[in-house]
Order: sequence, then structure tokens, then C-alpha cells
Amino acid sequence: MVAASFEQLTGPGTVQRLAVSGPLTIAHIADVVEPLRAIAPTGSALVIDLAGIDSIDTTGAWIIHRLMATWSAAGVPATVENASEDARRLIAEVTSNDIEVALRPLAGNPVTARLSRIGAAVVAMSDNIGSFLGFLGQTMVVLLQTLAGRRPLRWNAVIHQCENIGVNALGIVGLLLFLVGIVVAQQGAVQLRAFGGEVFVVNLIGRSVMRELGILLTAIMVAGRSASAFAAQIGSMKLNQEVDALATIGMSPIEVLVVPRVLAMALMLLLLGFYGAVMAIIGGGLFCWLSLGIPPVTFVQRLQEVTPLSDMIIGLIKAPVFGIIIAMMGCFQGMQVSGNAESVGTRTTRAVVESIFVVIVLDAFFAVFFSALGYN
Amino acid sequence: MNALSPTLPDGDDIVIRVRGLVNRFGKQVIHDHLDLDVRRGEIIGIVGGSGSGKSVLMRAIIGLLTPAEGEIGIFGQDARTADATTAKELRRRWGVLFQEGALFSSLTVAENIEVPMREFLHLPEPLMAELAGYKIAMVGLPAEAGPKYPSELSGGMKKRAGLARALSLDPQLLFLDEPTSGLDPISAAAFDELIKVLKQTLGLTVFLITHDLDTLHAICDRVAVIGDKKVLAVGTIAELLLFDHPWVQEYFAGPRGRAARPGAPKAVEAA
Repeated sequence: MVAASFEQLTGPGTVQRLAVSGPLTIAHIADVVEPLRAIAPTGSALVIDLAGIDSIDTTGAWIIHRLMATWSAAGVPATVENASEDARRLIAEVTSNDIEVALRPLAGNPVTARLSRIGAAVVAMSDNIGSFLGFLGQTMVVLLQTLAGRRPLRWNAVIHQCENIGVNALGIVGLLLFLVGIVVAQQGAVQLRAFGGEVFVVNLIGRSVMRELGILLTAIMVAGRSASAFAAQIGSMKLNQEVDALATIGMSPIEVLVVPRVLAMALMLLLLGFYGAVMAIIGGGLFCWLSLGIPPVTFVQRLQEVTPLSDMIIGLIKAPVFGIIIAMMGCFQGMQVSGNAESVGTRTTRAVVESIFVVIVLDAFFAVFFSALGYN
Repeated sequence: MNALSPTLPDGDDIVIRVRGLVNRFGKQVIHDHLDLDVRRGEIIGIVGGSGSGKSVLMRAIIGLLTPAEGEIGIFGQDARTADATTAKELRRRWGVLFQEGALFSSLTVAENIEVPMREFLHLPEPLMAELAGYKIAMVGLPAEAGPKYPSELSGGMKKRAGLARALSLDPQLLFLDEPTSGLDPISAAAFDELIKVLKQTLGLTVFLITHDLDTLHAICDRVAVIGDKKVLAVGTIAELLLFDHPWVQEYFAGPRGRAARPGAPKAVEAA
């Protein structure tokens, strides 16, 4: 393989000569660049002899140009000799474009940089909370106006969203809750067997699933499925300026995009939560029947006796609240998308993480609240 | 073989040779035995109606798309049949500027330009930075553009940054997909000028897809017209004006075509 090389000569007098040879192109420049630059400027003048090079590109020209510039700056005038037409042209071209160019962001003092990042994060967080509250208010106003009949409700969109959020999730939510029902029954049975109270597994399943697990797990599942979808859909519409187009035509994006999703989500989470709880009870009941020998009739009878109606109502009250929050989080993050496709990804992730977080926080709040009201 | 034939005589120094290219998507045939030759050191403009397959041709040549039939030779080699090393070597010899720049959005402009260098070469970090800085200056980006992210750039700056990345490895062949679309006339003219200067100083061969008649007049050595699933004719604009095909006549002799001709009175004055 051919390599670029150079030879250092002295004379006549104290004139330094550098005879460069080989291919002076980007692929081969690494051979010579460091040794060339290591030579300290000495003597009265520098002559770079380019007679031996077989090819040159802008990178090679750049290296020659920088070499001449460094030597000239050190008080040693530098010239090239025997350069081909191409080499002269390229050296002239790179010389005309040698300007100070910023490449990396200024790092600055590490301590202040760290502080400023923390500060920026805090400001961004409070901004985020502020704009979410703004969004919440806007959506509430439009939602109430819609419910009061002062704005049209887009039924087609609502039905379409219901299908996506609810009907299409039946399989996965049903399977998940069915398995959770079996797990709760099985684990409960192992513990209760120690006290000879295996029959209390029915209480465990009925109460935990109806009141907490059914709706909470469904909400988490739906947040993962639909909050992400909302953020991605609205986010890409935002990037594509479709949201601006809606506003320009005179259609409120909140009315067209957000309200149908919020309503559909509230309704569907109510139904899915109930369906999920039923599936979990079926799973638990199946386990009781096959493994503990409790026949389905007995299981259902006992379920009726031990699970108060209030458990189911508490579970179902939470559902639309979770639904509204999940839908709003998803839509809000979608609306916050700006700039590039990467931001769609970031916002989608945040929609899922934040909506699951808020759902769990709210669930804890509900648990304390209803206990305080005396529903144990 | 007439003067406007898409193929050149064998003796010419040909960089891109396309023979019998057939591209189809499902049942839709885009190219039907298309031939084209591109000479070393020329700027060839590719024109054609929307959907005539200009971009598909470019994608086929640079190997992003596998044609159904036909041969494509670049620097005398077929990138698809060559072994992996040769194909990689071949890819180093061309640069591509996509329509919107296609800059990597998570990298700064300087990092974008360094991507091909990092991938193909082992250069010391400071040298790469130096070369990236020079490329930024060469394509006429402002000095403070290096640390910026693509989302912070205007359309024209994105294209310049994309060009800088395409030129990062000093390619001999440059593919440009509608480089001036979406630019204001001043930026578009400046971009044309830049390509012309780069072609002259770096000795580039440029494959240029465009709709911009001004660009065609200003910088193209030859223009290839794509229509009826083939290259209808290749020649200078003066030659194409004499070419008897309704689309070509409409394109070059229509009102916009006439207005773009050098020395033509501007359309406004006619009113």
C-alpha cells in the first residue's frame, strides 16, 4: 500500500526543505500529519516541495496550508514549490476558508455548568407544571362547553378512539388480569393455608381485585398503550403542522383532538376496569375450583357475601378519573412536541412514565380518602 | 447514435454508467430499460415531471434500492455485485445530499460532518475537528454554526451542513437531490454558485436532481430529461430546446423556462 511520506532537508544556507511525496489525501493523511506538525520552525525560510505527491485533496491542501501558516506565524516565511495546477488551486481554496470556527459548545466552569444545568432542569420542571395546568384548564373549559352543548361533540372521533382504547385492548387487558387473578389466588392460598383459612382466598380476590388491582392494573396497561399513542399521534401532527392547520381553519385543536380522546378514555377505562376485575375474578375462581376444590357456585355465593358493593363502586369511581388524567397527560405531551422527531420519542416516554406515576399517586390518595370516609 | 443520446461513446471518461435499468414497485413500473452516462467532471442535471422517477434513479445508483434488472457501474464498478470491502471503498468516493439535508438530529453540525471520518478513517481527534471547521467554512456556514443542532438551523443552513457532511471525505462524485428547493432565490443562487465553485476547485462530478430552471441554466453542463420511464434526451439546454418532445418543449420553452433563460426579460415587465 502506498503511503504519504516526507523528507526533511536543509540548504542552501539555512533554508529548510520538506519534500512531501505519496498520496496527500484524507485516507493517507494520518501517515504524515503528526510528524509534519512536530517539526519546530527553524531556519530562514521553508520550502515545501510537492513534486513527489501523486494526488491531493482538500485535506492534504489544508495540512500544507496550516503548515505554512504555522511557520509563517513563527517568523519563517513558507512557500510551496513544484505544485501541480490542482494543488495550487486547492491550497488557494483552503486558504480562503481558514477562519476561526466554533465546533464544540463552550464547556465553561464545571461547577457553574452543573449548577446551571440543575437550574435549567428546575425551571423546565416548573414550566412543565405550569403549562400542564394551563392545558388542564383549557381542556376543562372546552370539555364543559361541549358537555353543556355549546360546542359540537365529535362523535365519530369519540367512537374511533373508543375502539382503539377499549375494544382493541380487550385481549391484552383480559389476559393480564386473568393471570393476575390466578397469581393472587395462588399466593394467597399458600399463606392462608398456614391458618387453615384457604376459603378466605375468595375474600382476598374479591376485595383486592374489585377495589384496587382491577382498575389500577388496567389503568397502567392503558397508559402504556394509549397515552403513548396519543403523544405520538398528536406529536407527529404537531411536527407536520397539522395542529396549526386545524387552528387556521378555525377548528380548536383541543376540541378536535383532545376532548374526544379524554371522553373516550374516561368511558373506556370505566368499562375496561370492570371487565378487568371480572377477568381477574374468573382467573381466581378457576384457580379455587381446580386447585382448592371450591366449586364455582360456592365461589360466587361467597363472593357476594364478602365483597361489599362499596368496593365495586370505589373501584369504578376511580376509573374515569384515571382515564381523564391518562388521556390528558398523553395529549399534553403530544402538544409539547417541537423541533424534531427525537422530541416525539422523548415526549411519548414522558407521557407513559408520568401518567403511570400520577395514576399510582392518585390511587394512593383515593385509598386514604375512602378509608377516612369509613369504607374499609 | 444521435447527439441527444443518453449514452456516450465508449472512449469517454465515464463515472456513472447505467444500462437497461428497470425499477418497479409492485406492478407499477418506474424505469423501463433506462440508460444513462455521466462524464467525469461534469454537472449533470436530472429533470422530469413529479413522479417520473428522478429520486428513484438516484436511490438506485447509490444503492439504497435494488433494481429489478439492469447494470449500474460507478467508477467502473458495480456496487451491488462488488464484495463488501470494495463496496465500502466505493461508498467513500461519493457524497449524497438529501432533500432536507438528512442531518442526524441528535448530533451537532460539527459532529455530523465528523461521522463519515470516524466511520472510515482513523484520524486524530483535533485534526478531525480542524477539518470539520474547514468544511463548515467552505460551504459558507457562519463560524458559530459548528456546535448547533440541526433543529436550530434554517432550511438553507441545513442544506449547507448536509453538503459539508457529503463533502466530508473529499468525494469525487456528489449526488444532490433538489438542493435549492425551499430556498429563497438569493440563497438558491448562492447555493448554485457554491456548487459551481466546488466543482471547479475540487474537480467534482455532480449528479443533480432539480426542478429549478435557474439552477439548470446557471450550473449544469448537461441536462438529462426523464420521461416515459426512460431518459428521453441528454444535452445542453440549447440542444434540448430543439428536441421535439411535448414535455421537453413545455418545460424549457414554457413561460418559466423562457424567464429563466440568461438574458431573458423578466416576466414582470411584460405585463
